[in-house]
Amino acid sequence: MNRTVVRTEDLWKVYPQEPKPVEAVRGVSLEIQAGEFVAMAGPSGSGKTTVLNLLGGLTRPTRGRIWIGEDEITALSDRELARLRLESIGFVFQAFNLLPVLTALENAEFTLLLRGVPAEERHRRVRELFALIGLDGLEDRKPGKLSGGQQQRVAVARAVIGEPALVLADEPTANLDTATGAALLEVMERLNHENGVTFLFSTHDPRVMERAHRLIHLVDGSVESDVAQGVRGGVGHDR
Amino acid sequence: MTDSSIWWRIAWRNLWRNRRRTAITASALAFGFFVSVFMIGVADGIVDSMVEDGTRIVTGQIQVHDPGYRPERSLHSTLGGRDGVDVSAFLDRIGEVGGVTGAAPRVYGGGLLSSGEETVAAGFMGVDPLLEPGVSGILAAVTEGRAPRPGAREVAIGSEMARKLGVGAGAELVLVVPAADGSMGNDLYTVSGVFRTGLPGLDAFQAVVPIDVFQDLLALEPNRIHEIGIDLRSASAARDVATEMEVVLSSLGVEVAVEPWTVFRRELYEYVSMASAANSIIVFIVFAMAIFGVANTMLMATYERRREFAVVRALGGTPGSVARTVVFEGIVLGVVSLIAGALITAPVMMWVHAHPIDLSGFTDEIRAAGSVMRPLIQVAYSVKGPLISSVALLLTSLFAALYPAFRAVRVPPADALAGR
Repeated sequence: MNRTVVRTEDLWKVYPQEPKPVEAVRGVSLEIQAGEFVAMAGPSGSGKTTVLNLLGGLTRPTRGRIWIGEDEITALSDRELARLRLESIGFVFQAFNLLPVLTALENAEFTLLLRGVPAEERHRRVRELFALIGLDGLEDRKPGKLSGGQQQRVAVARAVIGEPALVLADEPTANLDTATGAALLEVMERLNHENGVTFLFSTHDPRVMERAHRLIHLVDGSVESDVAQGVRGGVGHDR
Repeated sequence: MTDSSIWWRIAWRNLWRNRRRTAITASALAFGFFVSVFMIGVADGIVDSMVEDGTRIVTGQIQVHDPGYRPERSLHSTLGGRDGVDVSAFLDRIGEVGGVTGAAPRVYGGGLLSSGEETVAAGFMGVDPLLEPGVSGILAAVTEGRAPRPGAREVAIGSEMARKLGVGAGAELVLVVPAADGSMGNDLYTVSGVFRTGLPGLDAFQAVVPIDVFQDLLALEPNRIHEIGIDLRSASAARDVATEMEVVLSSLGVEVAVEPWTVFRRELYEYVSMASAANSIIVFIVFAMAIFGVANTMLMATYERRREFAVVRALGGTPGSVARTVVFEGIVLGVVSLIAGALITAPVMMWVHAHPIDLSGFTDEIRAAGSVMRPLIQVAYSVKGPLISSVALLLTSLFAALYPAFRAVRVPPADALAGR
C-alpha cells in the first residue's frame, strides 16, 4: 500500500518586488509516495529550488498548504519545522554545503548528533553507509581535502543517515563532471532501491531525468507535466 | 538531548579558520586583561603602601582604648578607668590573637616645650621604647641622635619643632603638662633625637617620651594607659582581627573599644574606598573599548558564515543551535585570550613586584590622606585583580558575541543558501 510522503495543495510563492511581484511558484499541487525517485526539471527560474525550499520548510508559501507525512508544515512554528526537518527531511545541495570545519564523518553524522544518537551508534552507521557509497577511508578528511564527487557523496550520506521520509536534492550533479555525476546518481538510486529512501531532486541534466522514475516539468512556476517513467513510483499523468 | 560538545568543537575550529583575525582579536583582549590586572595591581600597591605607611608611622593598625577616650581624648579616660589595667595581661592576650605582630602601650598628653626664649605647643606621646618599634615607625624616623631610652628623662622631637625651638640632639628642654591630679607637671628633658616622618603636622607638633617617666609627670600610675597600639601582618585584615580581639579582651573583665584603622583613620579609609571604585572604572573602560572591536570582528565572521548557518537550519538545527555556535565561539575566544593574557601578565607583574619602578628622580615623597608614600610604583599581588579582570574579559567576549548571534539566528535559510 502506498504511503504519501509529500502533498501540496495550490502552492504559491510570490516575492514582493518592484515594479511587479515575482510569482516564483504558481498553484503547484502534487503528491509523492514513499519510495519514489522523482526528478523535477525545468529551465532556470522555473521555480524548482523554490518548490524544494517550500517542501523543506526553509521558506513559507504565500498561499497553499504542504503536508510532509501527516504533518501540515505550513502550520508549524520555526522550532517545530526544525524538528520536522531533523526527523523527516534530508537535504542535498548543489554546492555540497558541507560544514568546512568538520570531517567527512562529523558532517555525515551531524543530523544523528542533533538527534542525540550515541557516538558509538553514529560512527557505526556512518561507516556502514560510507562503505556502501565508496567513501570508506575518508572519514577523517575535512571537505577541503575531498574531491567534488566525494563531497557530494558525503552530503548524500548526511541527508540519508537519519533515514528521513524524504530527501530533497537541489541539482545534486550540477557541479560534478559527467562520470562523477553518474556515480552519484547510482549511489542515490541504490539508496532508493535498497533502503527505500524517497528522493525528489531538481535537475537540468537530461541523464538524470532519464534515470528518474517520475519526471515533473516545471515552467514559470507551474507544473507543466508529471510523467511516470519507471517501475517504481505512483500515478503519473500529463498536464 | 543534543551532545553540546559538537558546538564547542565547531566554535573552537571556527576560531582558527582565520588565524590572523583571531590572533589580533585575542591580542586585544589579552592586552586589555594585562592593562586591567596591572592597573589594579599598581592601584592596590599604592593603596597598600598608603595604608602601610599611614598606619605604620604612628597610629598602628588597631587601637585599644577606654570606650570613652575618643573623640575627646581626655587625660582621665585611661583603660580600666581610674583603677587602670594589668597592662602585661592585655599585651599577652593581644599577642595571642592571630595576625598580630606587635603591641605597645601609650600615654598621651598635651603641653608646652621651651628652650630659652622659645616655646612651642606640643602633643606628647609616652611610649615604651622597647615595644613601640614593633608597632610604629616613629622612633625609627629619628634622623639625628637616637630614640629616648626607657626610664630616662629624654624626648625625641619632630624636625620642624626642633627648627622652631632652634635645638638639636643633646639640647635641654623644659616640658610642661597639665597632670591628672590637677597640678602642672614640669621637668627638664634632654633631646635624645630629632625625627622626620615627612608629615608636616607630626614633625611640627609631636614629641615622644618614655612612657614610665611621662606617667610620672602626668601623675598617672604605671597601670594607667590611654591606648594600646597594635601592628598586624596585613592591614586589610584589621576589621576582622579587631572583631576577634574584642571578644578575646572581653574575658579580662574590662570594657574596651577595639578599633581598626578604618575607624580611626577614616580619611585614609575613604581614600582607599575611592581608589577601589576607580579600579572598577578602569576595568570598565578597558573592556568597554575592547567589546566594540571584538563584536565587530565576530560580526564579520558571522556574515561570512551565513550559508553555514542556513545549512545547520536546513539540517534540522534550531535557531538556538545557530546562536550557540556563535556564543560558544565568543566564549572560546575569551578563554584563549584569557590564557594569552595571563601568560603576558604574570611575568610582568612578578618583575615589577620584585623591581618596583623608582620615581624618586621625578618626584619627592607623596603625601595624601594623611599618609606619606615613597615614590615607587610597586604592584600588589591579589586574587581580586586577576579575578575581576578574568570575569570582565569573559563577559566582554560573551556580550560581544550576543549581537552577532542574534544576526546569525535571523539569517533566512533559503536566501542564504541561494547566496542572497
